[in-house]
Amino acid sequence: MSENSESRSGPLAVELHGISKSFPGVIANHSIELMVRSGTIHAIVGENGAGKSTLMKTLYGMHQPDAGTITVNGQQIQFRNPTEAIAAGIGMVHQHFMLADNLTIIENIILGAEPTDNRGRINFGAARERIEALMTSLGATFDPGTNVSELGVGQRQRVEILKVLYRGAKILILDEPTAVLVPQEVEELFETLKRLVLDGSTVIFISHKLDEVLTYCDEITVMRQGTTVAHTTPTQVDRRTLAQLMVGSDLPDPSGRETKVGEDIRLQVLGLNVASEIPGAKLALQDINVTVHSGEIVGIAGVEGNGQFELCEAILGLRPKLSGTISVDGSELSGSDTRTRREMGLSYIAFDRHREGLLLDAPLWENTFLGREENAALTNGPFISRGKIEADCRSIIKRFGVLTPSEHVPAFALSGGNQQKLVVGREMASDPKILLAAHPTRGVDVGAQAAIWDELRHARDNGLGVLLISADLEELIGLSDRILVMFDGHITAELDPNTATPEMLGTYMTGGEIVTSL
Amino acid sequence: MKFLQTFSVARRTIFLSLGFMMVLSVVRLITNANDITSSGTISSTLRVATPILLAGLAGLWAERVGIVNIGIEGMMIIGTWFGGYGAWKWGSWAGIALAIFAGSLVGLLHALATVRFNVNHVVSGIAINILAAGATEYLSIIFFKGQKGGGESQSPTGKGGYGEFDMPFLTGGRVGSWRSPDILGWIERKHDLPLLPDLAGFARGLLSDVYVPTLLAIALVPLTGYILWRTRFGLRLRSSGESPQAGESLGVPINRLRYQAMAVSGGLAGFAGAYLSCVFTSTYRQGQTGGQGYIGLATTIFGNWNPFGVLRGAILFGFPTALKFRDEKNVPALLLVVAIVLVVVAIISFTRQKQILAMGLLFGSALSATTYFLVDEVPQEFVAATPYIVTILVLVGAQQQLRPPAHAGAAYRAGENH
Repeated sequence: MSENSESRSGPLAVELHGISKSFPGVIANHSIELMVRSGTIHAIVGENGAGKSTLMKTLYGMHQPDAGTITVNGQQIQFRNPTEAIAAGIGMVHQHFMLADNLTIIENIILGAEPTDNRGRINFGAARERIEALMTSLGATFDPGTNVSELGVGQRQRVEILKVLYRGAKILILDEPTAVLVPQEVEELFETLKRLVLDGSTVIFISHKLDEVLTYCDEITVMRQGTTVAHTTPTQVDRRTLAQLMVGSDLPDPSGRETKVGEDIRLQVLGLNVASEIPGAKLALQDINVTVHSGEIVGIAGVEGNGQFELCEAILGLRPKLSGTISVDGSELSGSDTRTRREMGLSYIAFDRHREGLLLDAPLWENTFLGREENAALTNGPFISRGKIEADCRSIIKRFGVLTPSEHVPAFALSGGNQQKLVVGREMASDPKILLAAHPTRGVDVGAQAAIWDELRHARDNGLGVLLISADLEELIGLSDRILVMFDGHITAELDPNTATPEMLGTYMTGGEIVTSL
Repeated sequence: MKFLQTFSVARRTIFLSLGFMMVLSVVRLITNANDITSSGTISSTLRVATPILLAGLAGLWAERVGIVNIGIEGMMIIGTWFGGYGAWKWGSWAGIALAIFAGSLVGLLHALATVRFNVNHVVSGIAINILAAGATEYLSIIFFKGQKGGGESQSPTGKGGYGEFDMPFLTGGRVGSWRSPDILGWIERKHDLPLLPDLAGFARGLLSDVYVPTLLAIALVPLTGYILWRTRFGLRLRSSGESPQAGESLGVPINRLRYQAMAVSGGLAGFAGAYLSCVFTSTYRQGQTGGQGYIGLATTIFGNWNPFGVLRGAILFGFPTALKFRDEKNVPALLLVVAIVLVVVAIISFTRQKQILAMGLLFGSALSATTYFLVDEVPQEFVAATPYIVTILVLVGAQQQLRPPAHAGAAYRAGENH
């Protein structure tokens, strides 16, 4: 995308020119050109590893560039540390929240910049007044006296934003802020950001989620392989072109199969009812019937929280059922524990890889061993065989293209996409008969997405049955052989992906009905 | 507001104490064990509770900044030795000051190990305990052996000199040279009345014959609350114990705070030790602490990392110990107290839908009531163990929602936030 004269008008809040930054052995950023107009939401998009975060750390003073200039509000500046960036009105909302759960919202916000009298006594009244004023401008409604532990993810993010605003920031950098949010929260976040922009702030928004960038942002800078490759606006590009700019080549496509769905029933769920966690509330799952054949991918569409999670947990034996049967390969699972079920051929790509899928502090080889402790190929009698496990881990790393220096690094050192590839690899390594795949490509960049799709297709062609739960409708339509829609604990529709459109799915997912004349 | 929550614990403490006084009053009327609420018992409870309170506050300061301090026992041992030495050479107050100073240094040593060298907190704490026991024995041989009254395991008798405090008019304190009337003492002797003499005994225990160091220790409770929940220093200190990464990202000097808090923690533990060797007694003796550092750390935890909670825990532990010290005949009455308290807690648990716990508590209550009515003489071993048993029972019954500082004891290196 070429330069656009219209988008280059108006005063510039931030101007980066010729920025380069290298770390020992790696060039993270080179010849960066970035111009952010004042009073806009400016998106910086790019795949994981494209250098977005390095660039933002440069702007926030967390490290110094090797070359190039930084201009803020028309003044050329050098930041030696974040404190100087904060003084210049730049604030950063980190991807991982930096909040103390047991402290109140006020305490978290004022920490390090407390209003005190000369004896060090905090003036909580003044702090509260100031914070409440900022909250009004954000449209936030919580009581600043409550503990952060009582807040949901979306509200915590708002506290992070308040922290930055409290320090007087006019230019906000948000590092992948939507990675942890559910769709409604994403919408609320952007409403908040729009208010800020109207009040004269400037927002720099790092993301690789193209839909939200196209919907909500004013301008877009695309990064690829450490440099800026395009500057554009949502009116000038569509999703596909933007994605191609990001990847630098054609986009992967989830669809395509040459083999036929098998005859054997791999997973059968009949008349499943599961109670809600809240006593007295309606059933979490009501009369669920699902059949997955060998070599078949059955997609489950639905807005999150409509029973998908409970369904997976019931199948895995993590959640008690009220009635109904679940069988794998013809054998009933009632009464067998989760480990037995896994040994019978169940595998599970968890909804949240950080919470359920990985031990973040443990090395990769321990992570790939998780859930496979009974696997005779990885153990020596009662002892684990570290050599075998490490070799197995290396083969998973190789087969799934996990980018890592070795199998000894802790899981948190990997990017989200690589963590997900590792989880997928582990779950596929035990040669399952049935794979419950919840959001297998969530938060993963385009390259990793293609790799995971390839693996799923390949395993399916070899007879694996897959129950695919996804919020990515293109993924559902492209990969699935059948799509079931879940709403409010029921299966409300069964669709043929050849005829289904994202709009149709959307209608069913939100409880609507479509009258057809089939 | 956090600070108000702190004081709501204080309010609850007062409320609970009143309820407890009523139970004691009933038991006193039934058993005629007048001593269980006498002013003598209360003031000796305070004396027994003070070192535990100080050790508990030491634990609180350490854990609130994020460091687990198993070494309190060792810091107390150091405190007893230096307290004994100072009292012998210059007098009690000097002993206390010297002990606080020495305790701070040991606290800083623990900080050096855990902050600078990232040694596991428990390992470093245990090392300090062992080191303290050995070092004091060695120092005793050098300084005390051969001195008059001193030896390898004890110091010569210290000079006294800390003050005592009597409230005028209420407890017979002096105004000038005139001895004012002892009103509370008069009420206390009306043993036939319910509750009133118990309250009078309680108040008189708090206000008469109180050692000034005890008053200082008690004053440290609201002071700790004020510093930690009201000041900039305190907020930053707590942030270090909850999420040092959050503090660091906002420019809070986490490591410096940890050294400061550990100096305070060590100083408090040193004070606790000196209390034993220069206030409670007037000589240092080897093994004088008797595990009170650990008990103090337990009150930190059961006091929910709150200074008033720590105070409550210390008194809870001090009371049965004081009863036992005064007269072993009090112990059977204590059984009846336990029985009644357990019934009350069982009723509360039952209303909170915790039937199984309630049943267990009722069973425990029945057991201790039966023991009281069937057994005339309580075996000596049981007497010795009573304070511990009572503490455990009450703590089990209390079933608090404990919430430790989120980052206490966890390894932390500056600049490594992920």
